Amino acid sequence: MKKSLFTAVVLLVLLIFLCSGCIAGEKTVVKVVPAGSLLLPLEEIEQEYEALHPEIDIQIEGHGSIQAIRQVTDLNRPIDLIVVADASLIPDMMYREGPVGVNYTDWYTPFARNEMVLAFTPESAYADEITRDNWYEILARDEVKVGFSNPTLDASGYRALIMMMLAEEQLNLPGLFNTVIGDSFKPALMVNKTENGSILELPVLMQPESGSKVTIRDSSLFLLNLLESGGIDYAFDYKSVAIGQGLRYVELPAEINLGDEAFAENYDNATVYLGFQRFATIGNKRTGLPIVYAVTIPYNAPEPEEAEKFLAFMLAAFSEGGEGYPAPL
Amino acid sequence: MKKILLILVIIACMFSAGCISNPYEDIDWPLTLVGADGTEKILSVSEIAALPSVSGHGYAVSTVGIKYGPYEITGVPLIELLNQVGGVHEGQTVHVSAADGYLWVFSYEQLMGEDLLCLDANLKEMKTPAKMTPILMYAADGKPYPYDDGGPLRMATMTAEPDVITEGSLWVKWVDRIEVHG
Repeated sequence: MKKSLFTAVVLLVLLIFLCSGCIAGEKTVVKVVPAGSLLLPLEEIEQEYEALHPEIDIQIEGHGSIQAIRQVTDLNRPIDLIVVADASLIPDMMYREGPVGVNYTDWYTPFARNEMVLAFTPESAYADEITRDNWYEILARDEVKVGFSNPTLDASGYRALIMMMLAEEQLNLPGLFNTVIGDSFKPALMVNKTENGSILELPVLMQPESGSKVTIRDSSLFLLNLLESGGIDYAFDYKSVAIGQGLRYVELPAEINLGDEAFAENYDNATVYLGFQRFATIGNKRTGLPIVYAVTIPYNAPEPEEAEKFLAFMLAAFSEGGEGYPAPL
Repeated sequence: MKKILLILVIIACMFSAGCISNPYEDIDWPLTLVGADGTEKILSVSEIAALPSVSGHGYAVSTVGIKYGPYEITGVPLIELLNQVGGVHEGQTVHVSAADGYLWVFSYEQLMGEDLLCLDANLKEMKTPAKMTPILMYAADGKPYPYDDGGPLRMATMTAEPDVITEGSLWVKWVDRIEVHG
């Protein structure tokens, strides 16, 4: 009798342990490293997934897309999912042999697209006047201040430059690039027009003249804070980011907004060379491409099976879409 | 007896020396400095820690908003460190590179504490504090800066005032080479 009572007590204690927070510390961690422009939707997706799978802890650590990949390739960190804002980076940087003789990855899944827009607030100069048809006239006005992310640090920065180079050519607006951007630097940024398209070589230091039309910040986060505080009137950024931040925006023509696969050949006509090679593992040439998001599971993912399950859930969420989500492919 | 006493004294000296010894002595991390004229000088962490140093506040934020710090940081102002190889002057740039293949470029003005952005706790831009100093940091919170956080040598922007957040892009980790260009 005593023995069976003892066994019952032991079983009861075990049951209480299992049902209580004692098992909370044993959650399986799935480490996800996404591009900064995906943080908002991924936080939502994380919460939904963890509510359905309380045994899983999705840990999200945002970086720029190249830095996200470098966590695996250069820093050898064990990451379960890499999600980037430029699909071409995965084959460029990860389809090569890692330290254990296998490629960092051999596949990727493209799942969403984005486009460049002009974000603004109701307080921006000419906010009630700007439209899809006159945006370049508004930006060209002397008193209008514009901003974009540092192209050396953030893909949306060099995409802003590429978009403006394409605007000058595709929309036949000679001098637009220099009026809005190039002339704010000393010496002025000069677009070199060649048989192979427009080429822009950036200086080592991307510092516009003090008090000029252009302001540059490290990333969207700081740029949009500046926009909201009135430091600039218009910011070049991704459509999903503008929506996620509750900003007003002007959509730009598909020929230049880097958002339409049908115009991929047009986009290819503009190339930016960054002022220096920030990473030993990737060069400083950036050519216009449709903005496509992609995901992969690296060779050294600690939880590849759980990563696959979360990946399937994430892809379904992006295909459904939501506020601040890049558009599904 | 005298022999034993001598041995005990030597052991005592070794122990006391160990207690106050340079904590940077065993760190194997040579830093190469290259001047504008190509002059090269290699310094150990211990030699850097022996140079005149400054201490202050350090607090950084990544491009996606992850905050690192606040720390009490110690290091050598980069502008002064480069005096070891002829100094840096207006119009020149300083290329700071790292063991992981990362490179960042500073202007002369930035080394002088100008053209640097600072943010408040909500990551809103604030007026630049009186003194901001880019330093080559080797200690934080009184200890050698750990490898896992980007040590033993990491660039940092030191501020005289606390709770000033600075741009993380300038906080280059694992610094192993600094060149003056121009």
